[in-house]
Amino acid sequence: MYKLISVLFLGLILIAGCAKQDKNVIKVALAGPLTGDIAAMGQGMKKAIEIAVEEANQSGVLKDKKFQAVIFDDRADPKEAVSVANQIVSDPQIYGIVGHLNSGCSIPASQIYAKYNLVIITPASTNPKLTQQGLKNVFRVCTTDDVQGSAAANYVIDKLKIKNVSIIHDKTPYGQGIAENFKATFENRKDKVLSYDGINTGDKDFKALLTKIKTFKPQLIYFGGVYSEYGLLSKQAKELGLNAVFFSDDGSSSPEYIKIAGSASEGNYVSMIGIPPAKLKKAKAFLDTFASKYPGTDLQPYDTYTYETSKILIDAIVKTNMDKSKIADYLATVKFDGILGITSFDANGDTLNKSISIYKAKNGKFEYCE
Amino acid sequence: MFIQQLINGLTLGSIYALIALGYTMVYGVLLMINFAHSEIFMIGAYIGLWALTAIPAFASFTITGFIITFLVVLLFSGLLAVSVEKLAYKPLRQAPRLSPLISAIGVSIVLQNLIMLFVSNQSMPLPEFKTTRYQIFSAEVDTLQIFIFCFSIALMLLLNLFISKTKFGKAMRATAHSHSVSQLMGINSSSMIAMVFFIGGALGGIAGMLNGMYYGSIKYNMGFFPGIKAFTAAVLGGIGNVKGAMLGGFLLGLIETFSAGYISSQNKDVITFCVLILMLVFKPTGILGENVTEKV
Amino acid sequence: MKFKNIAIITAFITAIVLPLIMQASANYYAIHVLGLLGIYAILCVGLNITIGYTGLLDLGFMAFYAIGAYIGIILSAKGISFWYIIPISLFIGGTFRYLLGAPVLRLRGDYLAIVTLAFGEITRLLLNNLDFLTNGPKGLPRVGETVLPISIFSFTLRNDIHFYYLIVFFLALAIIVSYRLEHSRLGRAFVAIREDETAAELSGINVSNTKLLAFVISGMFGSLAGTIYAHWIGFISPESFTFWESIFLVCMLVIGGMGSISGAILGAFILAGIPEFLRPVLGSGFIDYRMLIFGLLLVVVIIFRPQGLLPSKRRNLELRMNKNSE
Repeated sequence: MYKLISVLFLGLILIAGCAKQDKNVIKVALAGPLTGDIAAMGQGMKKAIEIAVEEANQSGVLKDKKFQAVIFDDRADPKEAVSVANQIVSDPQIYGIVGHLNSGCSIPASQIYAKYNLVIITPASTNPKLTQQGLKNVFRVCTTDDVQGSAAANYVIDKLKIKNVSIIHDKTPYGQGIAENFKATFENRKDKVLSYDGINTGDKDFKALLTKIKTFKPQLIYFGGVYSEYGLLSKQAKELGLNAVFFSDDGSSSPEYIKIAGSASEGNYVSMIGIPPAKLKKAKAFLDTFASKYPGTDLQPYDTYTYETSKILIDAIVKTNMDKSKIADYLATVKFDGILGITSFDANGDTLNKSISIYKAKNGKFEYCE
Repeated sequence: MFIQQLINGLTLGSIYALIALGYTMVYGVLLMINFAHSEIFMIGAYIGLWALTAIPAFASFTITGFIITFLVVLLFSGLLAVSVEKLAYKPLRQAPRLSPLISAIGVSIVLQNLIMLFVSNQSMPLPEFKTTRYQIFSAEVDTLQIFIFCFSIALMLLLNLFISKTKFGKAMRATAHSHSVSQLMGINSSSMIAMVFFIGGALGGIAGMLNGMYYGSIKYNMGFFPGIKAFTAAVLGGIGNVKGAMLGGFLLGLIETFSAGYISSQNKDVITFCVLILMLVFKPTGILGENVTEKV
Repeated sequence: MKFKNIAIITAFITAIVLPLIMQASANYYAIHVLGLLGIYAILCVGLNITIGYTGLLDLGFMAFYAIGAYIGIILSAKGISFWYIIPISLFIGGTFRYLLGAPVLRLRGDYLAIVTLAFGEITRLLLNNLDFLTNGPKGLPRVGETVLPISIFSFTLRNDIHFYYLIVFFLALAIIVSYRLEHSRLGRAFVAIREDETAAELSGINVSNTKLLAFVISGMFGSLAGTIYAHWIGFISPESFTFWESIFLVCMLVIGGMGSISGAILGAFILAGIPEFLRPVLGSGFIDYRMLIFGLLLVVVIIFRPQGLLPSKRRNLELRMNKNSE
């Protein structure tokens, strides 16, 4: 055994540092969850960046060089994300990163990219903290949780004329962050919320909590979290005779929600970042390409964003003439006219193109409200 | 609100009690924590889903469809538990005491990952179950809750009768008392152990199926928390004791519900786990347990 | 014995030289993985004292790793230097370990395993719920706080490779402590307890105190690793300290060889290292199968090679003798 191990170690030294490289390739990295619980969204992102890269190569903007999308899997796990980030910075041919999906991954990873002056543009991480770290290399194309939380609160107050709410969140950075922002806006404009409780993800029985909330008689219950718990909450509330309307965030805006909640989903709301792709006039070409390339595949929530983000990154690489050190400065002043409209970034790197839309579950489908 | 919480707690408790029976029976006979039991619970739910969707007639929840689904779940999860025992625990009968526990952890990882990799890593919805709601003192209770409660009580009573009144039950108790002596009395302790695993697994699988029906969705990692809690319930009631497992299950369901309803919903599991530690520290024999001195 | 020495020397040289080669070829990822391996190795060497030497199964070891990591970030954000935090973290980690161990260590093996599991879950839940202290799920440091960089005299650690050598230093320290312990009077008392508690008691060993000592020392290794990790990565959140991480450590120990230091390190290398080094070759999809394979390996090893791949000499002999006597 020990003999074997000695040989193994020596072998390791020998094979270390053998890597071959093709000089005519400009790589853009996509980092997201390709496996694991939310793999579907990550796979959608992969398709989107591949379409964007293919279009760039067909248009021949780089003449003798070619773009290549390299895909990294962070499994939605912060530890994996740090590993992946180190893998990415190890490759000198990577000019920038599109990703990650989860804020929990983007935040630690962005610090590693910053050390190596690599630009990261996220199409999907919505935690405000990401761009508040004071890093020059971080940009975000989607709107943040505080925009979404307060947009939801405003809609609830102005359009639904709700006077009292209870809030539940799932004790994740995402769910709790959105719930906090909803609470802040609501309390600022109206009154104190009736209750504010956390639940554990992976739990199934929320009846004890809902029974307690029922005694407060809220008109609406806001939930910060994702679809699986949102489904169970809506369903169990109906079973307890709690007739409040439910309202949740883009993590809950999955068709799976309606499957889990069943008829209890009827009349409940979700918000979603951005404008639905079908309503974007310029997105038609992308949607057509997507439909012809991946027939029978549904568009995932972040596909249009990833496509747009990839385009912005590719544009920046071309405009700076492939100079890594200038990409961040270029992006800080960019005015990119793409399928989402005009994208430009503020001092923190957040997009100025902020839009939120609201959907309501009706007859087993989400319908666009605003 | 109190009565509503009581109903919530009893429903939850009946599921815990059913799982706890599996832990307690195995512990009674082998003095071993069957860590993989929670995965039998999870797979029971998947078998139930499979039976309900594979045969369209079942999904409409007719009485016969129902009974057949339950029999399928019972049979398969019982057999799964027995095969786990044969493959992973039996070779370790003479090994140091911690070996079977480590092996059980291995089995647990394997079963969970098999479902995650080859069935689905997402929550899977079960067909929606039509229920009627009743009101008792302003508390809501539906037919499914009543059914789960009564069904598990019935199963437990049946098990109790089986253990205390039948010949098999007697043999099982003898095996629990002493493997070698019962073997001398002409009892095949190997087949008794297999029977214990079959019954425990079957009850665990049914608990999984009931859990899936009640909440409407199942996932590959759904076994972990109910498993630990059911184990807590078994300890609470007195591990090795069948009546204790039932009592502990209901008690734990109530503790959990009341701490979520009256103290803090995000800390309810902290409270449950504290109950487990305190119980083990101060009264490891549980409420109904008898003193077992450690075998030297 | 001879081959063992050669193996140790080659392992040592590899540990020093390999990262330099990787740095030269800009393979930062590999250095990062090696650093992680070092952290896991420290954890395994520590856990080995509880599980391997004393025979107490601990399913919540990550709790102490988490405590160390949180102490590291909380104090560092207050401006305290790494070199002061280390003793504080060892002390607090040890105290928690003592408070848990004192009442529960008299429980028998499998009950103890469940209690440690419960404690691990309690710790994770509290880290997630005590927002005022731990910033809850959002993790530490908070916006605006920074982790103080580690400096040695005037040299500041900045890159992964610097931290790698720091980790190797502490790993070497951990190995030496653990080795000295194993061959001391106390270490023999640990093993005596593992083999037969009653006999140990009768030979004049104070069983409960000795057990507690093993339990506390091993917990301190956990918080040490946590503090280093937190300073290295600079961001921690409760989701990194799940039950499955603790189980992962147990797998490493069982597969590597319970009771043997080289086994513990080999276990860390196999379970945490090989999948990472294979990832660029086989793609990330296969990582999904990692846990499935480890679970199977765990069952197979415990049945067919209970002493692990690199057994400790003493334990190997004992297992063989046990077989003969039965």
